[in-house]
Amino acid sequence: MGRRLPYFLLIALAVFFPLFGAGEAKAADAVKIGLMAPTTGAWASEGQDMVKVLNILVDQINAKGGINGALIALSVGDDGGTPKTAALASQRLVTTGVVAVVGTYGSAVTEASQDIYDEAGVVQVATGSTSIRLSEKGLKRFFRTCPRDDEQGRVLANQVKALGFVKPAILHDNTSYAKGLADETREIFKELSVKEVYFDAINPGDRDFAVPLSKIRAQNPDVVVFTGYYPEAAMILRQKRDLGWDVPIIGGDATNNRSLVEIAGPEAAAGYYFVSPPGPGDMKSPAALEFFKIYREKHGGLPSSVWAVLAGDAFSVIAEAIKNVGPDSGKIAEFLHSGLKGFTGLSGAIAFDEKGDRIGEVYRLYKVDDKGEFVLQN
Amino acid sequence: MRLGRLKLARSVEILGTGLFLALPFILSALNVRSSPYILDLLSMVGLYALLSLSLNVILGLAGMFHMGHAAFFAVGAYVTANLNLTYGWSILATLPAAALGAGLLALAVAIPVIRLRGDYLLIVTIGIVEIVKIALTNDVFGLTGGPNGLIGIARPMVFGYRVARPVDFFYLIWIMVAFSALLFHWLENSRFGRALKYIKEDAVAAEGMGVDATAYKLMAFVIGAAWAGMAGTIFAAKMRTISPESFTFGESVVMFTIVILGGSGNQKGVVLGSFLVMGLPELFRDFQDLRLLAYGAALVAMMIFRPQGLWPPKPTQYRLPPPYDEKYPAGGSG
Amino acid sequence: MGYFVEQIIFGLTVGSIYALIALGYTMVYGVMKLINFAHGELFALGAFVGFFFLVTLDWGGVFGPALAIGFTVVFVAGATALAGHILERVAYRPLRHSDRLAAVVSALGASIFLQNVIMTVWGAQYRAYNADILPKVVWTVAGQSVSLIRLFVFLTAVAIMAGLYLFINHSRLGLAIRAAAIDQGAAKLMGVDVRRVIAVVFLIGPALGGLAGLLVGVYYGQINFNMGQLYGLKAFTAAVIGGIGNIPGAMIGGLLLGLLETLGDAYVSGAWKDAIAFVALILILVFRPTGILSERVAEKL
Repeated sequence: MGRRLPYFLLIALAVFFPLFGAGEAKAADAVKIGLMAPTTGAWASEGQDMVKVLNILVDQINAKGGINGALIALSVGDDGGTPKTAALASQRLVTTGVVAVVGTYGSAVTEASQDIYDEAGVVQVATGSTSIRLSEKGLKRFFRTCPRDDEQGRVLANQVKALGFVKPAILHDNTSYAKGLADETREIFKELSVKEVYFDAINPGDRDFAVPLSKIRAQNPDVVVFTGYYPEAAMILRQKRDLGWDVPIIGGDATNNRSLVEIAGPEAAAGYYFVSPPGPGDMKSPAALEFFKIYREKHGGLPSSVWAVLAGDAFSVIAEAIKNVGPDSGKIAEFLHSGLKGFTGLSGAIAFDEKGDRIGEVYRLYKVDDKGEFVLQN
Repeated sequence: MRLGRLKLARSVEILGTGLFLALPFILSALNVRSSPYILDLLSMVGLYALLSLSLNVILGLAGMFHMGHAAFFAVGAYVTANLNLTYGWSILATLPAAALGAGLLALAVAIPVIRLRGDYLLIVTIGIVEIVKIALTNDVFGLTGGPNGLIGIARPMVFGYRVARPVDFFYLIWIMVAFSALLFHWLENSRFGRALKYIKEDAVAAEGMGVDATAYKLMAFVIGAAWAGMAGTIFAAKMRTISPESFTFGESVVMFTIVILGGSGNQKGVVLGSFLVMGLPELFRDFQDLRLLAYGAALVAMMIFRPQGLWPPKPTQYRLPPPYDEKYPAGGSG
Repeated sequence: MGYFVEQIIFGLTVGSIYALIALGYTMVYGVMKLINFAHGELFALGAFVGFFFLVTLDWGGVFGPALAIGFTVVFVAGATALAGHILERVAYRPLRHSDRLAAVVSALGASIFLQNVIMTVWGAQYRAYNADILPKVVWTVAGQSVSLIRLFVFLTAVAIMAGLYLFINHSRLGLAIRAAAIDQGAAKLMGVDVRRVIAVVFLIGPALGGLAGLLVGVYYGQINFNMGQLYGLKAFTAAVIGGIGNIPGAMIGGLLLGLLETLGDAYVSGAWKDAIAFVALILILVFRPTGILSERVAEKL
């Protein structure tokens, strides 16, 4: 081998590179729908749940003979939770001939793929990307089944006021989602003339929040608004209890996850508020109940968050559009903008406005009770 | 025999390069459906080749353990984004500014730490990339857009032509790679490059011979960083949106891996390394969740198989002037 | 004043965990001059092995808390030591005589591999460590509330470090480790079995990391597959601050890093606290180029 190895590698590369993506040419008459999700990397659990949900939905449709006789083929592209990988994943999904793509989770990641789908004319229905500006670019084929940060910020701030709190502290975790929500909430507080006494970030991935908690306690707020994700929220609840401090905490939809109670323990979690679209456990329509029964049989539990369910809904609206107007990206987009009437997904009624954002009030207030159950408040 | 093999190797290289540059035409002639994906992937490979070639100046030539190259990549990208978005500079016009920005930061951080030995320098460079990322996330000076980053960066214009399609970027990036490789090749064989090699082999001896090791190392560091800044310009123009997630410690590790795996100090090896390190995770896509597991195992296996890198540099040979008595053979002018 | 004392307590707890992990880095480095970038993943592995015994098998319920802790500690230390041993055999031993950076890249590859093994075995989601094995008592001492378990974390880490310190300084094997750290060749000539020393170091280091993982799991109640990245990086930083290769240095470096982070967070900004810690690292190295307690090893590039 010795010095000739590099040349062997070069030749191998020359042979293999053109084959990249060639393996996707299967089932020529099937309608191809893509799923771009983080199945590796820091958000792998969300992405893997999305794959599970979509596989069940695809199997259900195909078992009934497909849509108008055409089977559905799902292509999964891993975006690894990073913009760079997403740019490649989206380019690859486009070249497999998908008519529409479900995904993805992170806003910055979605952003890196938007242009690629748009230039290719592929419909994109995002599932967890709540950043406002994604739908402010005038892209005609971009939709999302999740609500926007401003919507959530408005609900969150109003709920804080409605619960009678006047001295909130705001804590976020410097991810684009949590920072966006924190900023929106702060804006609405200003309109409601509520003045926050604290505004700072924690680092995602950290485990010890005793310092921020003791800093916040020194400002003596009557409520802490935490806009980050459930793993950190759970540890904050737990450590707050260890500090012997009983301030209420209210969070956003990224904390709507069963693991929150498991990690914090029911005692520490009791009394925690959050605003969120209804979680998997609250979706009671017959279709949802049937779906979650199958999911539970297959995977031994519910999807741990609402985002995987929203990915399922993104798929369902695409399937609905294909049923009505056929597998043509342009027509699907048109149908989703104007033709989708009275459609109900797992998470409730779905329709889109002219920007591609989901219409309708979806946020509800929840409180964790003494047994650790999420109880709908209104 | 030796000569024959050398010629063969050379012709394989030339043929390969020619085929590679003609690839977009071949793909479109064959009507390959996945060609935009292939070209984008190759552009990404090229971008990392560019980054790794610049890191090679620091790590491969000067022998400084530098695991924070993404910091300078980031500065370049953000300089370009700001100049383009706020002042409307065209993308290519921001190239020198991006290089300058990254180079200045490199100079500022390197002066106090340039004398640190191996592993201590390694952790400092990791610290630098972490500090830069935290600064970007916290919207330092209001210039970075915080965790959301900056969007809407323009496409580059080259002589009135808008570089936008995958094939355009393929050529833009690989031309830059070729240009950089030539420049660094010349640099490597200049007085400067020889001094760096000397310092890498034996810093004490080099100092003893009057080579100012600190100054040379500093220069190598700044040149490498400035080049990474220009790669940042291209990245910003390609992605059109940049955010702190793209400039993590992990990205620095990727570049570091490319240089060492490919063959530290050999530019051809570094380019080969970019193909493998960027390509393997893509090749393993069909393994789904297991693709990074396979990639990690492949890295270990390749290092054990080729500890000196896949394509290590040839030992340098300097042609000495012929000895005195050969030049002037005895026997007078006969 | 009370606020300040509180921050010191927090800093020491966080720092003691960094110190425990940093010991693994520093011991391996001391003997082999290798930065074991996969050490963070061994730490995570310890957390998950502990999860398996304490949560999946519920040993707390089977044996009662005291025995369960004892068994789990033994099994976690054993499993991570074994993993560390395999790691050394497969990924590092073949590269002992190669360029040092080759081993670094091999370590980086091993780290990616191990992280994804953990993800494949235990899943990608956050796992709740709801093993309420330690009582949730909160003491109030002079107006400060200190939770028993926080104190427990700190004392455990200190006890382990003290044990290690005694072992290194007062046993024959410890002497051999110190000798190999100073000069492998000379140690060999003096009859030290360097291969055995390396094997032992690769058992103790990972075991300490694994126990740190167990502590983190039990105390914070939540683990996930990529938890080793952040802790690994912090602990490596701590080891360098203290003077990598130096065992008391790793302890001091860990505690100092914990304090720096905590005070940076408490008095400057939570968003910038890691940056503050890294700036402090750079300043320390500018003034003490080989860490606080310098390596005793002679100039070596």
